[in-house]
Parts: sequence; structure tokens; C-alpha cells
Amino acid sequence: MASTEHDESLHVIASIHRDGICLDLKPVDLCFLVALHTRATQRSLTCFEEEVLLDVFEQVCDAVDPDGENLRKRATHAIGRLREQRLLSRVDGAGIIRAGDYSMSRLASGIVEFFMADQVLTRESLSLLTKALLASLFQVKTEARKAETPDEWRLHVVGPLRVTVGDLVAGIERRQRGLDSQQEQVQKQIGELLDADWFAAVEQCQQLLDETTTTLSELNSVLLHDTHQILTVLSDIEQIAAQAGKADAEEATQRVAEQVDRVAAWGRTRQLAWSTYYQYVHRFLRDVVRLDPSRALSERLRNQLADWTKQPYFWVVAQASKIRVLRENTVREQRPPVVRPPRDREMPLEYVPADMEATALEDAVRSALAAGKTTLSEVLEVVLADVDSAKRFAVVGRIAALLVAESSPRSERERPWVRVPGEIEIEEWALPGGQMHA
Amino acid sequence: MHESAFHQLEEVIQDSLFPEIDLALRAGRHVDRDDGERYAFVLDAQSLLESFYRRYGCELIHASDGFFYLLPVGDQMGRRHLTAGEMLVGQTLALLYLEPTTVQAGGVTQQSVVVARLASLVGERELIQALNPRRRKYDERVAQETVRTEIAKALRGLESLGFINLEEGEQLRLRLGLLRFAEAVRGLSEPADALSRLIAEGKAVAQTPGDEDEEPEETGT
Repeated sequence: MASTEHDESLHVIASIHRDGICLDLKPVDLCFLVALHTRATQRSLTCFEEEVLLDVFEQVCDAVDPDGENLRKRATHAIGRLREQRLLSRVDGAGIIRAGDYSMSRLASGIVEFFMADQVLTRESLSLLTKALLASLFQVKTEARKAETPDEWRLHVVGPLRVTVGDLVAGIERRQRGLDSQQEQVQKQIGELLDADWFAAVEQCQQLLDETTTTLSELNSVLLHDTHQILTVLSDIEQIAAQAGKADAEEATQRVAEQVDRVAAWGRTRQLAWSTYYQYVHRFLRDVVRLDPSRALSERLRNQLADWTKQPYFWVVAQASKIRVLRENTVREQRPPVVRPPRDREMPLEYVPADMEATALEDAVRSALAAGKTTLSEVLEVVLADVDSAKRFAVVGRIAALLVAESSPRSERERPWVRVPGEIEIEEWALPGGQMHA
Repeated sequence: MHESAFHQLEEVIQDSLFPEIDLALRAGRHVDRDDGERYAFVLDAQSLLESFYRRYGCELIHASDGFFYLLPVGDQMGRRHLTAGEMLVGQTLALLYLEPTTVQAGGVTQQSVVVARLASLVGERELIQALNPRRRKYDERVAQETVRTEIAKALRGLESLGFINLEEGEQLRLRLGLLRFAEAVRGLSEPADALSRLIAEGKAVAQTPGDEDEEPEETGT
């Protein structure tokens, strides 16, 4: 059930947002609505003729804005605004044929009731409401015992529980909110009285406190007594519904019981909160206001604070050291060193055949020198003949290095370029001696 | 004159409330009527506790406004004096405690109200100087932030001493102990004379401007 209500509220929220619905009421609009509501109540009207609307608006303007002009025009605008915001509705359906009849919507009535509500809980009103509630519940209980068909359950049990009983409890709740608002006013009034008259206001403040305390105390005793009875009857109805297997009647009973619980809880919390406030204000009146009738203390304290930085002083307070509790002496365990699991870190040897090319090249160079070759090109001519053509370029460098190590090559200032096997050209060296030192 | 519930110190010490109240008083807390049974306990055991704490070089003070606190007069018990922030904020809160608007709210006020009132009474520049004593030059924004931080710190300190209760949001519930901040201006004597008397009694310490930079004094064990 709760989830269905939640879904409905989401739907309403979404539609309000989508349609951009808002309320924008000027003070004169509110006054107009209140005046209409009053007129309807006094003369038992269900709707207003257009002329009546205009007349009421003019009366409102006379009261709140006597110098205002163009009253007819302003009335037209006001009626238009209220219609746009669904506060007034045309109900005659005559259209253009004649001037219309208008009625206030439920929304307008709600707004007016909020402003006019002086429905505050009193002992009398609460007793009356709780007694009416009990009478309705006893009636429902009797009907529940007799009910046999689904229609009888719906008409005589579920319906009254949802409407009659629900409305009565809602009436109590509405008056509770009225009393809350009244309490707030009392608190404000006490503040204002003290601010205006200070010592002279003590008696009035005390009276206000006592009146509210008495009201709350009386209400709470009525609530305590009557809610217990109401809950007992509700429990009986729920039991009968459970035996008859009527889930909707059970659910309706539970809803009413929840409302009654809320009413009772309100009484408890308000009395507790007011008790705290009462004690505080009572003490304030006794200890502060009565002992300082001219408010001299506040004045002197204000002066002291303003001059404190020029002549500072500091209050002394006790500050005993906390008892030091030594930590328990425990033997620290020797933590084992961090190790890695042992494994063979020696890599297996890999057989690599010896590089014999370098030795062979060395031998070939030495042989060429021994054979009396006197230039670099001649040595290369002999040695490169046995070297693979792809390696010749690299080999030329190594041969040159060997020759430098083995002999002392010389070169002319202008070194001639000589072609050697393998499409390579070199700068020529002369090799003195041409003999290797084998 | 009410009949005391305790006849011997042993009974007081045996009471289940004693350890908590003893530790609170030694930590500088002010126990007032709002503390309910704790206040009633100290009131009942007052004469026995006075002689008990006198042996530790302390006086158990019962203010006429209805709160108790422990005042070290010897060197046996540790003590400290309130900070400049705590003093300024405490006096502002005492002033607010006496105002009808606070009565209307049932003794509750807002942190922002305290800051605004303090700045208006002391002056923003003086307040910054008082709460940033080491700084000769300051950036206005940083100094204001420091003031706010110091005030928040002072409020926490005052709460631990039982002067206020910090509640939800930035609400503060003012307590009776705050009237200690008005002690120097009570009575008909000149405030300077009253202050001299309080200093002589060891309830307050005066500081020369050169001392302001120092941390609050702490003595004793």
C-alpha cells in the first residue's frame, strides 16, 4: 500500500514538474480568497455570481488599499490569476451566453483555512473528538461482527474506517499543528515581552508559561486515557477482520492505529519539550531577570568584553594530568629473516663453436706479407680471394687493422684510390719491408 | 537547608557517580543544574567534597548561579588558564545567555551569531590581533579564517569545560556555567577592583601584553 502511495506521489511530482505548475499569489489575492470564503460561509453560498466576485473584490480593495484605482480592471486581473492557478473555477457552463458562476476550488479553501485556522486543541475539543472517534469505532466494530458479504465489509467497515474515522483523527492532528503554532507564538511573545519590559514582563511571562503548561498537561492526560481505549477497539476490529480474512479491513484498521499512535506520540514529545523550555525560562526569570531588574549586568558585561583586549585576564581552571597507564611488557618475538626459496641459479652451458675465421684471416695476412706483398691492395687481392663476397667489406677493415699491428704502413700525401675484389675501393698504403715478424 | 544524603566521605566515594564527577571536576568541568543527578550528587556531598579536595590544594566552588567547579589554589593539582579565544567567546556567550532572543529559542544560539556579536563588540581588527598575536602583518582573508578556526577551537574547549553543548549543525546550547564570565562585573564594585579581588583569590590571572604570545600556563602534576 505504502509503495502504491509512493508511486502515486511520484506521478504527481512528475506531472507538476512537466506542466510547470506553480502558485503565485499576491497579498490582495489572498485577501480576496479569504473574503470570498467568509461570504460563502455566512450566506451558505455554493458558488458566486460574477457580479458578487467583483463586489467582494471592491470591498477588499476598500479595506486594504483605499486609494487604489481601476478596481474593475484589477478585479478582472485578479479573477484571471485565480482561475489560471485553479483557485477559482467557472461552474455554470453557459460560456458566452451570460456572465458566469464561480466556485472556490479545494485548493483555495485549503489556503484560506490555513490562514483562518484558529483550530487549536483544547481539552474540550480533544475530548469531543476522541469521544466521537470512539463512538464511530464501536459502531464499526459492531458492523464488522455482523458483516458477511464483501459489500457489507466495504460499506460498513472499510469505508467508515477510511473516511469517518480517518477524518476525525486528521481533525485531531490538524488541531495539534494549531497548538504547535500557538506554542511557537508563546515563545516569541515571551522573548518580545522580555525585550520590551524585562523585569516588568516577569509576571506576564510566567502566566503565559503556566497557561501553556496546563493546556499541554490536560491534553496529554486526555490523550493517554483515550488513545488506550481507541487502540483497544481498533485491535478488536483488526482481529475480527483477520478472522474473516478481510485484508483491506485489516489494512484500514492498521492505518488508523498508526495515526492514533502518532497523535499519542505528539502529546508525549510536546510535553517533554515544553517541560524543558518551561524549566529553562522559569530559571532565567528567577536567576537572571529578578536578580538584575535593570539589565545592568548585560551592560557591564558588554563593556567588559569591548575592553577586554586592552586589559585581558583569564579564568583559571583545574587540569589534572591523566593517569598514565604503562603498556604491558611483552617479549618481542624474533622475526625470521626474509628468504627466497632456494633454486639452481647456474645456467646450463651452451656449446658455441669456436670462431676460426679470425685466426684464418690473420694467417692469410701474414702469408701475404711473407710472400712479399708491398701494398694494401696487393694484400687484399690475395686475402679477399678466399672470403665470401658478403663479408668482404667488413673483412677489409679487419685486414687493415692487422696490417697496422704487424707492420708500419705509410701513405702518400695524396693517397690513390685502388679497386680491390668485391666492388670495393680503398686508399692505398705502402707496406715497408713486406715481411711479417712471424 | 536540605538534609545531606551523605554522612561520611567513604559513602561519597563509594557512590557510582563519584569517579565520573571527580574526573570531570579535575579536568576543569563546570557541573550545573542541567547535569541533573550529577549536580544533585555534588550538592548533597558538598561539605565532604570540599574538605576532600582541600587536601589536594583545591577549592570546590559553588557559584550562586547554580554550578560547581574546582579551583586549584596550591601546586598539587594541575591547572591552566583559558586561552584568549576561550575568554572572548565565553564572554560573548554569557552576553547572549542574558538576552531575550536566546530565551525565546530555549537557550540555543548559532555559531554565526556568536562570531557576528563578538566582531561587533570587540571590533574586527582587535579580534584579529587578539587571536593572531604572533602576526604583525597579515593577509585579511587568512587572518579572518584563522579567527574562525580559533573561535571553533574555543567553542570545543568551552564545551569540554561544561560551559556549552555543541549540537547539530552550528547550534550551541548555552549553559549556566557561562555566568562565570560575568563574575568580574557582578555587584556594585568597580570592575577593576572586582578583577583584582578575583586575581588575589586565584580565580583569574592577568597577563601583560608580552605574555600573550605564550601558550596557556600549565602547572602542577
